[in-house]
Amino acid sequence: MAEKNYMVRIQNLEKFFGEDRERVHVLKGVSLDIPEGSLYTFLGPSGCGKTTTLRCVAGLERPDVGSISIAGKTVFSTSERVYIPTNRRPIGMVFQSYAIWPHMTVFENVAYPLTIQHKSKAEIKKRVADVLKIVGLQGLEDRPAPKLSGGQQQRVAFARALVNEPKVMLLDEPLSNLDAKLREQMRFEIKALQRRVNITTIYVTHDQAEALAISDQIAVMHGGTLIEVGNPHQLYSRPKRRFTATFLGLTNLIPGKVVELGGDSRPGRLETSKGIFSFIPAAGLTTGSAAILSIRPEHIEVIKQKPQVTENVLEGTVKEAIFMGDAYHCQIAVGDSVLRVHTHPFLSMNPGDKVYLHLDPQSCNGLPAEDTEGMDESALGA
Amino acid sequence: MGRFINAQTLILLGCSLFVLYLAGIPLVMLLYGSIRSAPIGEPGAAYTIQNYVKAYFDREFYLLFWNSIKYATGTCLVSFVIGTYLAWVNERTNTPFKKLFMVMALIPFIIPGILSTIAWILLLSPKIGLINLAVKGVLGLESSPFNIYSMGGMIWAEAIHLYPLVFLLMSASFRNMDTSLEEAALTAGSSTFTTLRRVTLPLMRPAMFGVLLVMFVRGIEAFEVPALVGVPAKISVFTTKIFLAIHQFPSDFGLAGAYAVTLLVISGGGVFVYQKMTRKEERFATVTGKGYRPRVIDLGPWKWLTFGTSFLIFLLAVILPVFILLWSSFIPFYGIPSMELLAKLTLANYHYVLTYPLALTAFKNSFYLSVGSATLVMLLTSVIAWITVKSKIPGRIFLDNLAFIPIAMPGIVLGVSLIWVYLTLPIPIYGTIWVLLLAYITKFMPYGIRTASASMIQINKELEEASFTSGGTWFQTFRKIILPLLMPGFVAGWIYISIISLRELSTSILLYSYNSTVLSIMAFDLWEGGQYTYVCALGVLMVLMLVAMAFIARRLGARIGIAE
Repeated sequence: MAEKNYMVRIQNLEKFFGEDRERVHVLKGVSLDIPEGSLYTFLGPSGCGKTTTLRCVAGLERPDVGSISIAGKTVFSTSERVYIPTNRRPIGMVFQSYAIWPHMTVFENVAYPLTIQHKSKAEIKKRVADVLKIVGLQGLEDRPAPKLSGGQQQRVAFARALVNEPKVMLLDEPLSNLDAKLREQMRFEIKALQRRVNITTIYVTHDQAEALAISDQIAVMHGGTLIEVGNPHQLYSRPKRRFTATFLGLTNLIPGKVVELGGDSRPGRLETSKGIFSFIPAAGLTTGSAAILSIRPEHIEVIKQKPQVTENVLEGTVKEAIFMGDAYHCQIAVGDSVLRVHTHPFLSMNPGDKVYLHLDPQSCNGLPAEDTEGMDESALGA
Repeated sequence: MGRFINAQTLILLGCSLFVLYLAGIPLVMLLYGSIRSAPIGEPGAAYTIQNYVKAYFDREFYLLFWNSIKYATGTCLVSFVIGTYLAWVNERTNTPFKKLFMVMALIPFIIPGILSTIAWILLLSPKIGLINLAVKGVLGLESSPFNIYSMGGMIWAEAIHLYPLVFLLMSASFRNMDTSLEEAALTAGSSTFTTLRRVTLPLMRPAMFGVLLVMFVRGIEAFEVPALVGVPAKISVFTTKIFLAIHQFPSDFGLAGAYAVTLLVISGGGVFVYQKMTRKEERFATVTGKGYRPRVIDLGPWKWLTFGTSFLIFLLAVILPVFILLWSSFIPFYGIPSMELLAKLTLANYHYVLTYPLALTAFKNSFYLSVGSATLVMLLTSVIAWITVKSKIPGRIFLDNLAFIPIAMPGIVLGVSLIWVYLTLPIPIYGTIWVLLLAYITKFMPYGIRTASASMIQINKELEEASFTSGGTWFQTFRKIILPLLMPGFVAGWIYISIISLRELSTSILLYSYNSTVLSIMAFDLWEGGQYTYVCALGVLMVLMLVAMAFIARRLGARIGIAE
């Protein structure tokens, strides 16, 4: 039963690039199960192995170890010595460059998957017309491909990927070549299109905002390994790993030690150089273990007068405040470190102001500290 | 099991083996032949170094060596000066009508070498040369001022034939130079002349050296001028010596082989150095090789000097040779232009050439060979370029180098090696048109692989991957996506190869038989027979045929793929 619900199963994928001493280990045992009908995103910085994983599913790369099955059929397996070539896998793919063939018209591009199977003229005509209608390109059949705008090219690429009714659609950073406005709009369109056709879709991107906006499930990848899988909401507000917390949006990190784990709707307690904080511990933390507290800038409340409560309250000075229209983005000095805080635009913030910060305990995530992946600029000195 | 034997494997493996056969076997057989004591097939043949002893211990060998070096160096320098000067005028100055000159500068490209040689004999021969007679008449000289039958005359005729290549290569490097480097020198306070000396020339030095090397190799492997001018003038170079060793009776294949190996070592060394240099340069060029707008120098009144000299070159290199060829093709017997002869203009030469017993065969053979070799070379090298550029198949670098080897083989050397190959191997094509086809494919494969790889690199990998993910097999992808996208480069390469195969002489002359005569051989024979007016008529027809073929190829290419 469980087998049935997964459209794509990836097991223990290993992949090396290059030869001999320049060998790079790009995939280090990646395993993923992609549910039928979902829009599943591989998210991570460049070089994390997301595109390589996608290309392995497409058959454009050959893994060194592991197995991949699509719709219950093994398409690649090192133990069973199976490799089904790309052209015999039930997939459709949209490339980063769209890869619209410049020597063909829109119709010829979209019809290609059918013409090479020698389908009848009438059937090709009907199916191309149907799929062009779905992507909103009806009437452009005879236009030569080089005469299309970026957005139109992308729609042609989608139509071509869909026309053969594949089991899985693979999208390799399909929005990265569009300008910011169009990208924003296409997010909605892709999501709507995927719902309408109800096709299992794997989406690769390095843009966390895009991933959050579009996905049913996100697999966060880093350095050739899978970090964490979850829906956008879980990953953003309740990350389990430090890399997820820092890669998806901005966050503040405060290192410390678990004093009390809590449980049953009772928060735990974490001892840090800034005092003791109430927090929600991630799985795997134990009393006495080192942990990192992560809290997002918009979950820190700024209070100008000294508040009644003292729990999870810090005292600081406004260092810099930038007006962003919908918020102030502030840097607030607390002792020898700086916290990023977003405040309501009506609350005027001036450098030098003394303020109090309230860190909502429900938004304070305690993450395992030994997780050293993804040390970046948002990490905070002790 | 069966799934491993599919169209892709068959095509890729087949093409690779074919390249190995074309490029590798002649080399092996040439070396083998040069250390055999007797012609192949004869009983009692053994391994020997006698051929080399005979070649190297002959005093004549060193004269030959010295002549070849003199000839190649002279050709290389003269063609370099003319070609570079025209390239500079065209790319970097405001000389009037320079665009017109640029088109005209390329005309000698389309005139077969044998014809331009004949044209220069008709212009500079001490007895009948038009220029000589004109100068004698004007200055009232007793003897002719110029003599084509000399080292200087040979170098001149060859250089005029070769300079368009210098022009093309140097124009490209003038164009690709980042002029902001020069502007930086000017803003730093250096004068135009200092900039030229301290910045421009050092920047172009690698390109210039590369071009010189190419021209030297071209000079040393040239055949037409040494055969038509050098042989009667008793000035021998390697290529003619090899030709004579085989054409004497009985043929001395071993000696020809020993000379051929020597020639191969010289030209191979040149090509090897050139390859090493340009590889480095290409890597450099990909970083900065964008289309810069060349800085045009305003020459002021001096532009009339550059105009004058360009026109003079144009007159000498294009107008005079073309005129003498056309003139000679319409007159009943050879004579310098006069009113008396003008009245006798006739189409008889064309009629004679077209009804010449072998003419129909030669026209047909040349046409088939030209179209066949151009098409096969481009198809073959397109597949090879896919392997070397797009695939990760092990050994692809070796394949790329292998396909390039024949460029280091002078035509006459290739001819000698193919004689050995098809007299030894049990493939019964010696003396047929098929051996010529194989020879042409081998010889022109390097040009094909160059154009095909350059175009292949331009094709984004995702364009072919999109076909695989659409369900296309390798063969479908190659035919419907790669080939059409390759079409501009394919057509350009096709036109170039069909032109050079139609005028090929140095290899064909060792491999043809009565039934496989081609046009250039027919021209050579007519010339040897002293029938100058017929040769010129034949030449005009050849050039017309070339122009027509290039035109049709362009039209067809635009229909199949994307027009450039």
